Amino acid sequence: MTEPARRRGTFAVLLACLPFAVLMALCLGSVGLAPGQVLSSLAAGAGLPVAPALGTTGETILWTLRLPRVLLAMLVGGGLAMVGAALQAVFRNPMADSGLLGVGSGAALGAVLAVHMGWSTETFLALPAAAFAGAMAAILAVYGLSHIGGRPSLEGLLLTGLAVSALASAGISLFLVATEEYRVKTVLFWLAGGLEGRGWTHLGLGAAFVLTGGALLLASSRALDLLSLGPEEAASLGLPVHLARMIVMALAAVVAGACTSVAGSVPFVGLVAPHALRPLVGPLGRHLLPASFLGGALLVLAADLASRTFSQRLDLPLGSVTAIVGAPYFLLALRSGLGRR
Amino acid sequence: MRLAAHDVAVRRGGVEVLHGIDLTLDGAEAVALVGPNAAGKSTMLRALLGLLPLARGEVRLDGRPIEAWSPEARARHVALVAAEEAAFGALTVRDRVALGRYPHRGPFLPFRPADEAAVDAALAATGIAHLARRALHSLSAGETQLASLARGLAQQPQLLLLDEPGAHLDVGHQLRLFRILDEARARGVGVLAVVHDLQRAAAWAARMVLLAQGRVVLTGTPAEVLSSPECARVFEVTIQRHELSGSAQAVYSFEEPR
Repeated sequence: MTEPARRRGTFAVLLACLPFAVLMALCLGSVGLAPGQVLSSLAAGAGLPVAPALGTTGETILWTLRLPRVLLAMLVGGGLAMVGAALQAVFRNPMADSGLLGVGSGAALGAVLAVHMGWSTETFLALPAAAFAGAMAAILAVYGLSHIGGRPSLEGLLLTGLAVSALASAGISLFLVATEEYRVKTVLFWLAGGLEGRGWTHLGLGAAFVLTGGALLLASSRALDLLSLGPEEAASLGLPVHLARMIVMALAAVVAGACTSVAGSVPFVGLVAPHALRPLVGPLGRHLLPASFLGGALLVLAADLASRTFSQRLDLPLGSVTAIVGAPYFLLALRSGLGRR
Repeated sequence: MRLAAHDVAVRRGGVEVLHGIDLTLDGAEAVALVGPNAAGKSTMLRALLGLLPLARGEVRLDGRPIEAWSPEARARHVALVAAEEAAFGALTVRDRVALGRYPHRGPFLPFRPADEAAVDAALAATGIAHLARRALHSLSAGETQLASLARGLAQQPQLLLLDEPGAHLDVGHQLRLFRILDEARARGVGVLAVVHDLQRAAAWAARMVLLAQGRVVLTGTPAEVLSSPECARVFEVTIQRHELSGSAQAVYSFEEPR
């Protein structure tokens, strides 16, 4: 199959799967909803002249619980996958993702702080706000520390990111130890990643950052292509390499920070989705970034569905599900040689 | 269009590796930069392009300091073709060559037919049009080198700097490479190439610059440079020139001194 045909086919499959997955995720759960009724309720909600077929309870479940959760899963998955694809081009390494920038640990530190101080119980959205602030503080620390004494190399950025992550992890442990036991569980739930209890407000806030940042990342896809050639060739072609790297990392941090602050830690999505799609749609940013968004959206949608339907008694942590799927995929990919580019 | 380096010194890792280089390249010129390993040839190419900070001296493009040019405008006038690290991801040859249009279209503007035409022309000129859809990392070293050259040609520069463009090419492809460079010169493009094969350099270049230990030792015609005692000294060889009857080219032989 030629390369453009394979790419179009991949996009067609992703776009065809997504509505089915969405419908499945809306129907399945502790209370099952009939697909036909869900569709007519959605149509009625969209202003079409259809009578909503679900009962009052069904309507509530659909509109206040399932729909925002499903959309949020797609937003978080798409955002994290896109960030992974972008950072992999910057670092020229298939193992790069937002964890390298210290964003995840920074967000976690923010969340732990919010719980420890009791803000999260006093103020609505204090936890995601603190997590987002933590993520931004972490990326600013990485930026500032790595620029002491001049422009850092990629290795310099990477090591600074690791150091800031380690520091944030130390902070998390300190605060966890000092937090009352009944509160620790709140933060553990958040750290494990999940979407239960998130509503339209979470979705709106997350979407504002993820969609804006994602659109800007997509707009910088030609710069990403040049960065993937290597710094010297990119510079010889007139790309301001350092500035381009910093802009991409800032956008990546905003998107990943927003995803993490609403969903907690959702690992492996940023690695698996671009890795699986790169051979199918090619490495150019203008193809890989949108494909990764769709792939990541599908992945987290499926993972969230699995997390809340697997057991009757409790929701599995979303982060555990993505890791349970992602880690073996990655090991298999490495064994089969896909990991050798 | 003229690229001129005056008294250029470059430090790398705290050590000065170029000590006051004067070098010019004009449109339609063919200049070979030769010298033993670690002479500073590759560093000089990058300094000429403004990619390295200068410890001293200046580089001017068309009379303006190179750093006063916007990076994109500079890249529209001067292209560098060098041995690259492998690109990340399975980029196709055509996509790679198309990135040579970046200086003309910037990060956001879509390609016009003229851009596609420039890419097609560069692929055709280098004889790799049949590889256009192949992934870069499936190419041989020689094909990779031709793809790099095609990217440089797609840039449509007025000056072309090349770092050992023929290193991985067989004799037929080497001849083709220098013919491609001559075709570019016929369009007014000035070409400065680092060449290790002195015989090939002498056959191609009008001017030869001999670099050793970060200094220009000698500049002149290839015949002048290769016949000089300085050239024999820096390469630590004896050089003999042989005139062949019926050939316009002289042949040089090189031996280790006894």
